[in-house]
Order: sequence, then C-alpha cells, then structure tokens
Amino acid sequence: MSVPPAIVLEGAILGLNYGLLAVGLVLIYRTSRVLNFAQGQLGVVAAVFIVKCYYDFGLNYWFALFLGLALAAGAGALSELLLRRIFGRPRVTVMVATIGLSQLLFLFTVLPFIRPKQLYRAFPVPIHWTFHIGSFLFSPGDVLSLIVAPIVVVALAAFIGLSRWGLAMRATADNSESARLSGVWVRRTSTVAWTIAGVLSAVTAVLASPGQTSVLTQVLSPGLLLLALLAAILGAMVSLPVAFAAGIGVGVVQEVLEWNITNPSSGSATVELILFVLLQLALLVRATSLQTGARTYERSSWAMGTASFRLHVDGLRKSVGRTGIGVAFLVAALLPMVVGVGHSYLMSQVCIYAVIALSLTVLTGWAGQVSLGQFGLVAVGTDLTAHLGTSVPLVLLLPLAGLATALVSVLVGLTALRIRGLYLAVSTLGFAFFMQSSVLTTPCWTVPLLRRRICTGLPNPQSTLISRPSLFGLSLSSEQTFAWFSLGVLVLSVLMVRTWRDRGIARRFIAVRDNEVTAAATGIHVVRTKLLAFALSGFIAGYAGVCLAFWLERFSTDTFDPTVSILVVSMVVIGGIDSIAGALLGALYLVGLPAIFGTTTTTEFLTSGVGLLAFILYLPGGMAELMHRFGDLATGVTRAARQRWDPPSSRLPGATDSDGGAGHGEGPVGTPLTEAVP
Amino acid sequence: MNGPARLEVRELVVSFGGLTAVDDLSMTVQPGDIVGLIGSNGSGKTTLLDAVSGLVPAASGTVLVDDEDLADYLPEERAAFGVVRSFQECRLFPELSVEDTLLITEDARKSSDVLSATMHLPWARRVERAKRKAVDGVIASFGLEQFRYHQTRHLSTGTRRVVDLAAIVLARPRLLLLDEPTAGIAQREAEAFIPLLRRLQEVTGATVLIVEHDVPLVFELCSTVVVMQTGKVVASGPPEAVRRDRKALDAYLGASDEALLASGPLEGAADQSPGRAGP
Repeated sequence: MSVPPAIVLEGAILGLNYGLLAVGLVLIYRTSRVLNFAQGQLGVVAAVFIVKCYYDFGLNYWFALFLGLALAAGAGALSELLLRRIFGRPRVTVMVATIGLSQLLFLFTVLPFIRPKQLYRAFPVPIHWTFHIGSFLFSPGDVLSLIVAPIVVVALAAFIGLSRWGLAMRATADNSESARLSGVWVRRTSTVAWTIAGVLSAVTAVLASPGQTSVLTQVLSPGLLLLALLAAILGAMVSLPVAFAAGIGVGVVQEVLEWNITNPSSGSATVELILFVLLQLALLVRATSLQTGARTYERSSWAMGTASFRLHVDGLRKSVGRTGIGVAFLVAALLPMVVGVGHSYLMSQVCIYAVIALSLTVLTGWAGQVSLGQFGLVAVGTDLTAHLGTSVPLVLLLPLAGLATALVSVLVGLTALRIRGLYLAVSTLGFAFFMQSSVLTTPCWTVPLLRRRICTGLPNPQSTLISRPSLFGLSLSSEQTFAWFSLGVLVLSVLMVRTWRDRGIARRFIAVRDNEVTAAATGIHVVRTKLLAFALSGFIAGYAGVCLAFWLERFSTDTFDPTVSILVVSMVVIGGIDSIAGALLGALYLVGLPAIFGTTTTTEFLTSGVGLLAFILYLPGGMAELMHRFGDLATGVTRAARQRWDPPSSRLPGATDSDGGAGHGEGPVGTPLTEAVP
Repeated sequence: MNGPARLEVRELVVSFGGLTAVDDLSMTVQPGDIVGLIGSNGSGKTTLLDAVSGLVPAASGTVLVDDEDLADYLPEERAAFGVVRSFQECRLFPELSVEDTLLITEDARKSSDVLSATMHLPWARRVERAKRKAVDGVIASFGLEQFRYHQTRHLSTGTRRVVDLAAIVLARPRLLLLDEPTAGIAQREAEAFIPLLRRLQEVTGATVLIVEHDVPLVFELCSTVVVMQTGKVVASGPPEAVRRDRKALDAYLGASDEALLASGPLEGAADQSPGRAGP
C-alpha cells in the first residue's frame, strides 16, 4: 500500500469537512441531546444563499459571506425554537424530527430569493493561493480549508472551555434539570448552541463547496453526514477535539484507500466496506461510553409515549371501523378497473411501500428498534429476484426472499443487542449505505482465502432488467393485474401482521421494549425476542423487495438510495408508528400525495418534511389517530341517529354516552390489541 | 419440579467497580419459609435478590436452588426454573394493558410459536385461549376487572403492585423474591398487604424471600428475619430472637427507637413506652 504525502494531505483536507460537521453534531448533542440530521442542511442553505448574493446580486464576497453566515445562524436558532417543545420526548422522536427539519431546510434552497439562477456555478473563494506537492496541485479552496477550519475549531474549543456560555453548555449537557435549578438559563443556552452549530455548518459548506462537481444543494449529502457521525461517535458524542481529529482521520483513511485501488469499479465498494466495518466497530467499541452515565434514557428505544393500541372499544365502534376498512378495500380493489395505466402503476407503488412500512411497524413501532436502513433489507429481496428472475415460481420466490432477508435482518439485529436507540439508527443507516454502494455495486467478488468468486451484487449495477412473471397462469405484465397483485400482497401482509398483533407476538415485543429487566425476570427471552422482531421485519421487507423488483422491472443501485429508507421511516412516523393502518396511511400520504402534484424532490420533501414536523409536534399518534378520531365521530353520529329512531324503551342501559367513543378521556387511541375473546 | 424450593447462597460476592455490595454472604432459606431481609440503605439487600435472579453477575460464590447451581442460567431461564421476583419500583410494562401484562407471564411459561400463530393453526388458537382463561381467573380473583384494558402507566402505584402480585400468582413461583412490595404505598394500605402476602404464599406454595423497610410488617409476616449490613449477614433467626438482638437492631436501625417500638415490645424498652406495646 503506497501512501504519498500529498494524498494524506488531500485526505486531511477532506477530513476537515467531516471534522467540522462532527464538531457541530457533538455540540448540539452535548447541549440538547439531539442527534441532528439537519446539521449538514443548515449550512447548505447558507452556501446556496452566498452563491445567490455573490453572482446574482453582485455583492462583495465578504458581505455575501456575512449574510450567508447570518442566515445559517438564524436558521439554527429557529430550528431550536421549532424543536424545543419536543426536546422532552424520546430521543429517537427528536432525531426523526430533525430529518423532517432537514427536508424543510432543503425547501429553503428552492425559494426564489435564495436559489441562484445557476446551480452549477463554481463556489467563490476569496484567495488565489495554490501550492504543489509533487505533481499534486492544491487549489485555493484547499488552502482556505487548511487555514480556516483549525482556527474555527480552536476558537470554538476556547469559547466552550473558557466562557460562561461554555460552562452553561457543559452543565446543561450533564443534567439539564439540575443546571436549570442552579440558575443556568437552559433554553437560551440551547438556542446559543444551535446558533453556533448553524454557523459551523455554514462554514463547513463554504469550505466544502469549492471544487465540488455535484449540484450545490447536494454538497453535504447524507453519505457525508454518516462519515461525520462516524467521527462524532469516535469522540463518544462528547469530545470536540476527538471528534475533529477523528474526522480528519476518516478523511485520510478514505483517500489513502481510494488511492490504492487498482480496480476502479470494485474499489469504491471496498472503501465503503471498510468504512462500514469501521462504523460498526466504532459503535460497538464506544457502545459502553455512549450509553452510560447520566444519559441512561438513551438506552431506551422507541417508546413513543403516545397511545399505542386502542385498548377496548364497544361493538358499535368496532362495526364502524370494519365498515371503514371494507369500503377502503372495495375502493382499492375496484380502482385498477377505473383508472388508467399510470395510476394503476402508482397504486402498486403505494401498496408495496405500505408493505415495507409494515415491516417497520413491527420492528420500530412494536419492538422499538429504530432502523434507518430498511431499504437495505428490501434490496436483499430485490437482488435475489434479479438473480433468480422468473426461474423460480413467484409463489415460492416471495417466501424464499422473505426467509433470506430475515436471515440478513437477524445479522443486522445482532448489533442491536449491544447498541440501541439513536446509535442503532446510525448503525442501520450505515447498513443501507453499505448495501447500496458496496454489495449491490459489486456484481462479483473473490473471497480472499477460498479463491472463489461469489456473485451477490446486482447483475448490472447501472441497469438491471427483469420481466414480470405470471401468478397461477395469470400474467402480471399489465399494470392493472399488477396493481391487483400488489393489493393482494398488501392485504395478506396486513392479515399476517394483525395476527401477530392479536396473538401475543406484539405484546412480547412491547414488553421487551418497555422494560427489558422485568421482561427477563418474568421469563421472556430478551435476546430471542429482539432477534425475532428483526427476523419478522426482515421477512416482510424481503418479499416486498421481490414485489418492488417486478413492479420496477428495471432498477439500478440508485433505487436503493438510503434516503428512501429515511422516507420509509417518515411514512411510519407520519402514519402512526405502531399502527397497522398507520403504515398504510403513511404510504398513501408520502407516495400518493406527491404523485398528484408531480413527483419531484421538492414535492416529496415538502410532504414528508412538513408532515413529519407537523405530526411529531402536534399529533404524535400520526394519521392513524386522525382516522380513529374520525371513526369515533362517525360512531357518535351513528349512535345519536339510532337513539333518535329507536323507541327509548328498546335502548340498552348504558348506551347514553352519545358523544361516542371520543369520550374515552385520556384513553389511548389506536386499534384494539386484543379483541374480546369470542 | 413442584412445591417450594430451597435456596442456598454460598460465599456470594457481588461487586460494582470498587464497591463490594454483597460480601462473602452465605445463607439458607428452607422450603416454604417466609424470610424477611432487612438492613439499612445500601446494605446489599436488593443486590442479593438481583444476584439470585441473575440480573447481576456474581464475582464469586454460588447460588443454589434445590441444589441446582444457577450460575449458567439466564434471568429468563431462572424464571422458568421457578425463581420469580418483583421489583421495588414496579414499573411493569408502561404501554401494555393490565390484561396483556398478565398474558406476558403466561407467554413466558408457554411461548406462542410464530409460525403456527401466523398460519392460524387450531392448537395455537387453543393455547392463546387457555392463556386468556388463566388470566381471566386471576383478574377476577384480584378484582382487576375495571382495570383490564388500562395501560399500566395510567395506574396508581398500589394498583400496579396488585397487578404485579397477580402476575406472580400466574408465574407459579417456587422461590419468590419480593423487593419492597409496600414501597410507595400508604401505611394503612401496607398493613392490608400482610394478609395478602400471606395468602400469596399459600396460593403459590412458594418459598418467599422478602426485602422490606417496613420492619413491623417483616416481624409480623416472616418466620425468619435476616439482618444485613454492608453486604454481610449480621443476625438471623426467628423474629423474637432478632427483635431482642440489640446488636442487629443497632446495625439496621442506627438506634432509631421509634421504629423499634412500633414493631412491638422490646426487652427493657417496653416499660418506657406502654402506649404502642398493648395487646
């Protein structure tokens, strides 16, 4: 392995970006205990605005820079004000809210007074210095990074170490309630931290943007954020200097590895593989220090604290619910006959995404294991379909893919035995990246010791084509029949998951999620239960992957972009995290709604970003809760109507609560976990 | 594997970092006994229970239940072996309903298998129905019907304790470890716990080891009282003997006489406070 010094320096410059982002992540985490997925996007808004000021408004560079930094500072402070009211909620909820925030911030970059006329313009740099090491030329942008980044970090470290604010931040981080009682103004401290993080993110974007070839708005992509997270985790989410240094280290490792790659097509996959292993190792090694001390609540997984299942409903409410389900199913079943090809195609998509969302309902909603990499599992099913194609009958392929994916899912779940909550989310996000950019991109690879070639990736990573099979002699090639097939798969999935809910599997998951120690002392096998959740979730994701493959007929590695995994998480959160109906509603909202307005990134992000924030902030039970309230209302109306038409003597005693089921008070809203024993 | 179990702890040491919470402790609980474990805060009572139920690893020493060494048993396996415990904070499962909380105990004894449940196989349905029947019985006998569909996080501490006791009955323990069952309960209600706990022991037929700060309750309920201090047993024996053992009482109570007096007549102290020492 050759390591020219210039490559190391280039890696270090790249690593400065990771380091700065990591410092921002740690800063927010230390004060608000929030894993801020919007950290990169805060700066992107500023960078885009600087380009706008510089080129379109013709402003002086420094003035444009000042305006950009001010915008980022304001965006940071506003974000904190927006999210403040949910800081007391489970950490994972807040993390998903920051995903919504980042999508909302993305929308800022398309606003006419922020978005520049040309997005591909070179980012301005105030200096013109360059230098050589050997034959490597370092651009003015590189020089700027080398000068500015260390200064910023040292200044920040001094601010936190020496100033009153820094002390307040550290106190808030250790125990915000004690800090508050000791007279620290916790809220303002938190706002200051977010403001600083916003500026920091803007500085990162300003330093990272020159020399970027991609669109400006992509400058701090999720992939880059993941590497920053790796650095932050190496610093145990606490240490700014370690996080910064680790960021530089990650950059160097990445550059050196890439330099030593001989085969460009499989090489980047190897780099991704090594970074993935690094991330998992960092999480596993750091798991103890990440989860000990005052931060015990981070061990907790996704307990929404919201009403999960509707615990008990009367007969009338139940029949109203059944009527609703029946009508919805009937409409869905008739839809392909009425609508055109395009809408049938869309309906298949909604159904398949609903199935994928269901897999997350089981895993995240019930078992409390947060996965940001569910599409990585879907990819396993799709990949298997790409290899087997129509050689295996569809009825066999579906369960086969399910079982294979369940196995992979259990392997992913093994890390969950040690790391939880936020860190499991990071780990699974890493898995999604790994699946996309390492497993799927490499059609075949040689096992080092056995000298055997194994072909696990997509046969053609750029474009894999498959044709739709037939099911029981019925060809699925028309969009209409495929829509029915997708609906059928969805209905069967719902029935299966309902069985799990009503026959004691969900309650075991919830018991382990809510109180692991008591569950174990009661005699519930904790490890087995957790892995079972991963297996069941993986099973669903796997056969959903088969459906996805046949629905698309043509796919590439881009199909499995990790942002899609995040979209699926948004679905279940918007729909109602532990509700079966919620998964369906979430898919309908996030896939169906944007399609009506034309599927662009803007509409997708608008619906999911606004939806996520609105539901998490104001209606934690999600769309399922809305649906149940509507059901309660319909029940109330029905009951009132009956009372009016029936003679009073025939009324049942106790049927006087004419306000319907809505009068359950603080009683939880949701579907019954356990139907009354027949 | 029926009937009360015999617990034997031999030279048990449990330490957290530099702190030795249980220090070379040996004790034996005979089958069918109700043994009270008292001691000041931090004397290692709860840690002893944790070690017996497998929640904390023992640094050295052995825990034997019916002469079976439990070293290689996971907590869940110990539960299956009949070692059942309650927790001081009695958090239960906040988001589960009372009915489901009790069903979990049934699940632990007879786990529903996913495949047959998914396939709607008739015997899976039978198992679930049997579980519900058992739970229905316990709900009726503990008077929990009105709380059946309430999430446990909405219940008061007292009701949660009752749910916990109901779960214990379902779990069919042979060795029952109770960690401060009256914590967070008003004194008057705690007194009502004595017949309840005695009944619990009769119904389950288990050996009971109970950690409790309510000394009068322990002295009234238990056939043997064990006093712990800094991880060691300082005194043990029948309540009358321990009550007379001035050294043990000093160790436990730090010579707080009110609590002693509340627990009944003390030799030499009885004449000083005739008020509470009545018949």
